[in-house]
Amino acid sequence: MLLLWVALGSIAGIGLMVLLNQRLGLNTPAQIASLEDAIRHLDTDQVGFTPGDAVLLADDGRSAVVEEAGTGRLGLLAARGDGVVIRYLGPGSVKSAKMGEGRDIMLRLDDFTFAPLTIQLEDTHEARHWADRLNALQA
Amino acid sequence: MDAPELTNPIYFAIVLFVGLTVAEMIFARVSGGATFEPKDSAASLMMGFGNMVAGVVFGGLIGAWFIFVYQFRFFDVPFAWWAWIIAFVLDDFVYYWSHRWAHTVRWFWADHVVHHSSQHYNLTTALRQPWFGVLTLKWVWLGSALILIGFHPVMIGFVGALNLIYQFWIHTEVIRKCPPWFEAVMNTPSHHRVHHGINPMYLDKNYAGVFIIWDKMFGTFQPELEDEEIRYGIVKNLGTYNPVKISIHEWVGIANDMRKAGNWRDAMMYLLAPPGWSPDGSRATSKEIYQRWKARQDRHAGSAGEGGEARLDLAE
Repeated sequence: MLLLWVALGSIAGIGLMVLLNQRLGLNTPAQIASLEDAIRHLDTDQVGFTPGDAVLLADDGRSAVVEEAGTGRLGLLAARGDGVVIRYLGPGSVKSAKMGEGRDIMLRLDDFTFAPLTIQLEDTHEARHWADRLNALQA
Repeated sequence: MDAPELTNPIYFAIVLFVGLTVAEMIFARVSGGATFEPKDSAASLMMGFGNMVAGVVFGGLIGAWFIFVYQFRFFDVPFAWWAWIIAFVLDDFVYYWSHRWAHTVRWFWADHVVHHSSQHYNLTTALRQPWFGVLTLKWVWLGSALILIGFHPVMIGFVGALNLIYQFWIHTEVIRKCPPWFEAVMNTPSHHRVHHGINPMYLDKNYAGVFIIWDKMFGTFQPELEDEEIRYGIVKNLGTYNPVKISIHEWVGIANDMRKAGNWRDAMMYLLAPPGWSPDGSRATSKEIYQRWKARQDRHAGSAGEGGEARLDLAE
């Protein structure tokens, strides 16, 4: 019984600390400022990344896709909170890339450590093009 | 030998952990000298909670094993003041090697990666601890070494807890540098920030728990450099804050790789080789990342040198 109370108290304490964290407004959502910024992230991450011609920067600056020259892999950047998470997409990496809300791409990877991503775009044609491109990487 | 009745000091330290974390958050708000992300903090704190639960669940098994091993001890180390000091230092020495292997053997990394999986470095990161440490089986052999020598399990458990409590406060960006004499001997926030860095030059450095001297003795020490901003996390950062996924992701990765391996040798290498090993070299270990980075640095230095000479020629 004591253990149960300790557990409940701990969970309540954690909740209060997270609430405090949220209320203090300590985080600034990450932004990928430009394609150059996206390429710089990839270059640092990969210790050498040569961008190809195909590039995409989401309108909200929260995600980007950059093709790697030579390999054809796609470097995917996704803002998660105040950080950026990167994945390199090749054949079999994508579970689905669906068009949602008209122009957004709802991307799911075959990677359970990468939560589904919405790539916000203004241009329907561009969104459809990239959804097709990403869907071509399905297993 | 009769052991004194001791309470796990971590139970008392929890109050300190909470108080200092709240203080760090307020400091971050006032000065901007630390960064927090609520979802990341929630994940870290839940990982810490889960680690305590795992301690309750598996503690009996591990304790029973230690008592069993103690029967076969070589010496009888008494509960004297000097024995506590020796136990603390030796436990930290064992911790250094255990930690080093936790980074260089994927089986052990599967457990320890959890602690490194935040892209933040604050006091909540200290509490981001694994749930399935029991699966590494390190407690069967490495954890039993000092007990087999003759230190009582209660003594080893107590100094081990002190070691972990010490390591809490070094998970912060708030403290930049400690006095030089302290930085020379002890593990500090500066040294441990390097350990959590994924910059190629910082990978697999500063394994110390309490005393940084072990890294200096065994060639793994790297000071924090002013002009090398630290990027925290793991080479392939997680895109989730789900504590369960954080806990199991590397175990699942190992299982998948072993299942798909073409032969037994490759399967065992996926388990026992350093993280990032792959039979076709399509992934990179820390050493390979460092070598790639070093080669690039050397190329840049070379081309800068050539450029410098060319500019010199023009000047002449």
